[in-house]
Amino acid sequence: MSTAAITQSDQAEAYSLSSVFIPPTLLLRGGGVFLLASLAVAGISGTWSRFAHAYLLGLGFCLSISLGALFFVILQHLTNARWSVAVRRLAELLTSALPLLGILFLPIILSLFFGSGQLYEWNNASVVAEDALIQHKQGFLNAPFFALRCLIYFAAWIFMAKFFLSKSIAQDAGDKDATFVMRRYSGPSMIVFALTLNFASFDLFMSLDPHWFSTIYGVYYFAGCNVAFFASLPLIIMFVQSQGVLRKEITVEHFHDIAKLLFGFVFFWTYIAFSQYLLIWYANIPEETGWFAVRQSHGWQAVSLSLIFGHFALPFLCLMSRALRRNKGYIAMWCVFLLVMHAVDLYWLVMPSVSPTDATPKLIDFLCVFGVLSLWLGITLRNLLSHRLLNTGDPRLPLSLAFHNV
Amino acid sequence: MTDEANKEDMPERESLGVLAEYRSPHELVNAAKSLREDGFTDMEAFSPFPVHGIDEALGIKGSRLPWMVLTSGVFGGVVALWFQWWTNTIDYPYIISGKPFFSLPANIPVTFEFTILMSAFAAFFGMLLLNGLPRLANPLLANERFRKVTNDGFFLLVKPSDKENASSVATAVRDRTAASSVEELTFEKKSERLPRYVGMAAAVLVSVALLPPLMVAKARATTSDKPRFHNFFNMDFQPKFKAQTDSTLFADGRAMRPRVEGTMPRGGLELDSRFYFGVEEPDGLLHTVKQVGQQPDGSNESGPQPNYVKTVPVPVDEEMLSRGRTQFNIHCSACHGKAGYGNGLVSQRAIELEQGTWVPPTSLHSPHLLDQPDGQIFNSITNGVRKMSAYGHQVPPEDRWAIIAYIRALQRSQNASLEDVPEDYRQKLREFN
Repeated sequence: MSTAAITQSDQAEAYSLSSVFIPPTLLLRGGGVFLLASLAVAGISGTWSRFAHAYLLGLGFCLSISLGALFFVILQHLTNARWSVAVRRLAELLTSALPLLGILFLPIILSLFFGSGQLYEWNNASVVAEDALIQHKQGFLNAPFFALRCLIYFAAWIFMAKFFLSKSIAQDAGDKDATFVMRRYSGPSMIVFALTLNFASFDLFMSLDPHWFSTIYGVYYFAGCNVAFFASLPLIIMFVQSQGVLRKEITVEHFHDIAKLLFGFVFFWTYIAFSQYLLIWYANIPEETGWFAVRQSHGWQAVSLSLIFGHFALPFLCLMSRALRRNKGYIAMWCVFLLVMHAVDLYWLVMPSVSPTDATPKLIDFLCVFGVLSLWLGITLRNLLSHRLLNTGDPRLPLSLAFHNV
Repeated sequence: MTDEANKEDMPERESLGVLAEYRSPHELVNAAKSLREDGFTDMEAFSPFPVHGIDEALGIKGSRLPWMVLTSGVFGGVVALWFQWWTNTIDYPYIISGKPFFSLPANIPVTFEFTILMSAFAAFFGMLLLNGLPRLANPLLANERFRKVTNDGFFLLVKPSDKENASSVATAVRDRTAASSVEELTFEKKSERLPRYVGMAAAVLVSVALLPPLMVAKARATTSDKPRFHNFFNMDFQPKFKAQTDSTLFADGRAMRPRVEGTMPRGGLELDSRFYFGVEEPDGLLHTVKQVGQQPDGSNESGPQPNYVKTVPVPVDEEMLSRGRTQFNIHCSACHGKAGYGNGLVSQRAIELEQGTWVPPTSLHSPHLLDQPDGQIFNSITNGVRKMSAYGHQVPPEDRWAIIAYIRALQRSQNASLEDVPEDYRQKLREFN
């Protein structure tokens, strides 16, 4: 396939989805219904705190896929990657639902200004009044500063996502400079991404237990983001290919590389998770071990063990073989499995703070997660439908199309 | 240097195969494919860069290397984990930070690293092995044309099988492929013995390597008036204190620190006053019990008596009594005598030497001891009594109770009636009388 052929606009139509079997509006409505149902359940049973945590869990899950995609896009420009051009637009579109997540996060911030301690203990005035340690941390953990930080995080992410998508589209339209502009800004973007992701995971998830701290926490969430993204990308590819798009362009070679990255980040996640555990276990200081102690009792130990085996041992061994990594159906199966395990991982991070003595998931958890996920999928699908799905203007596209694993 | 010239000089040459050169990687792959279809199986391709599809064209099967790496990695992980388990629990059990002897999290880093190390070794040395490396020389390198292989030459070396000869192979290669040149290669069969200079160099190296140990041996065997040379100054002079030494760091001048008030060493929580002190639950604090019997004049009978336990507060069995006998013979019999009459060897010797200050040990069969509660004997062993020193620090409480149980057995044996003797032995005893 020559470059001239694919840059022609009539040919480019072939790289767009015309229609899909499930309309985005249905997903958006479904998401709304799920969230309303979860609100109703919370209202009837009075489990508002559980609702807030489940809602954060759903947000955190979708956020991790979008942020993993953003990292992937920035990284491809930073390294001037050639193999990935064929799949980069899909990653760019996975980041395009970040504004939705920003809007969905607003209720959490607003509730903080009304003094709600349902989600974050440090915002509960009666708890803080009797807790010297949280009082000490009030300089950082207070509603206005928290809101400001979240504003910065989401603004930075949305801005970067929009920047790389719009420049990439300009590249398709023939903007020769776009390639270099994106590469030039990929370095600073990576720094901004690293800092925002790190502090966002401190704020959004680690501050659920304001007594506890772990400096590696941000990297842990980052590892989860990458596992989630590299597990989502093959599924998105298989979805668009099943709709008749990009069938020849994205080959088993690209699949193979994504599966390698998935395999790598599964181990990276383990490495980081263990690094966090080992130091805390070894030092054995109560102010640090408390967080793990909760996760090793009252049924949470089963969730912890399921992470060791399901998020590490099993996928690590089963994704090791080169031949199996080139088998699309097999990889898709593990992608679904790892997305589920990633949800379990976030469940394990978030839920013990509301339910330290009961690890079983509740109906409201599923409603919230499916609700947010459905909204996120609806927006993502809408963006998939309204964009060309191949970076036809990228000068490295021919190299990506001809990419071959040695 | 042409082949003809070589043949005249050196008739002893072997065929290496047929070397064909191609203009592009594409031609190379095609040539390999068509030759393999013709039945040539022993081929090698040479190119300046990796060529896609050449493996398939040459019919090279998937490498065994990944399996070697996996096996070696698993082996490394298992060995590392097993060795840590063995050293930590079997060979040298040692409590570290109050963790169990075998604490898996602590062993993961070493297991991980050793798995990686063994995998890397297998990958590196396995690669060398599978490639037949290291190889000191390759006769192909003598060929002038072959030198292009590092730049723009694409070569195929076809080795004739036993049935074929080189010229027929060369004809086939010329006919079937688009080779730009085809050449039959031969090489001079040289002796496979190592050159003499290699042996010489090895001998020199070994001799030189012997010098440092010789110097060390000489230094160890001779004396010197020079001050000692400290290779590792920080190790020879460590900023630390040894036990029972003084220090300017602390106000009291002691290097060893006394126990912090309100703390207690692990296992030092002696809550069971019956077992640890031989008294019934005391009214006051436990440490007052520790003072019992510590009056310097030994007049602990004069003060108010603690409420001693009457009998040994632990179950007495055969095993415990035999332990008591062992411990009694070790710690007590030297003075009190093996039968407890106060006529131990130390006492006998002291009396023989007419030691004026020697107080003969108490006979354990004297009436006041027969009536003493067990707790009081326990207290005497623990804290000493009159001239007898305290044994509490060297005999653990369970052994003290075992000793007491054995003393009671001794006392009984010296005041026994015929009913105490088992049925079988009574007749024997009557015969003695």
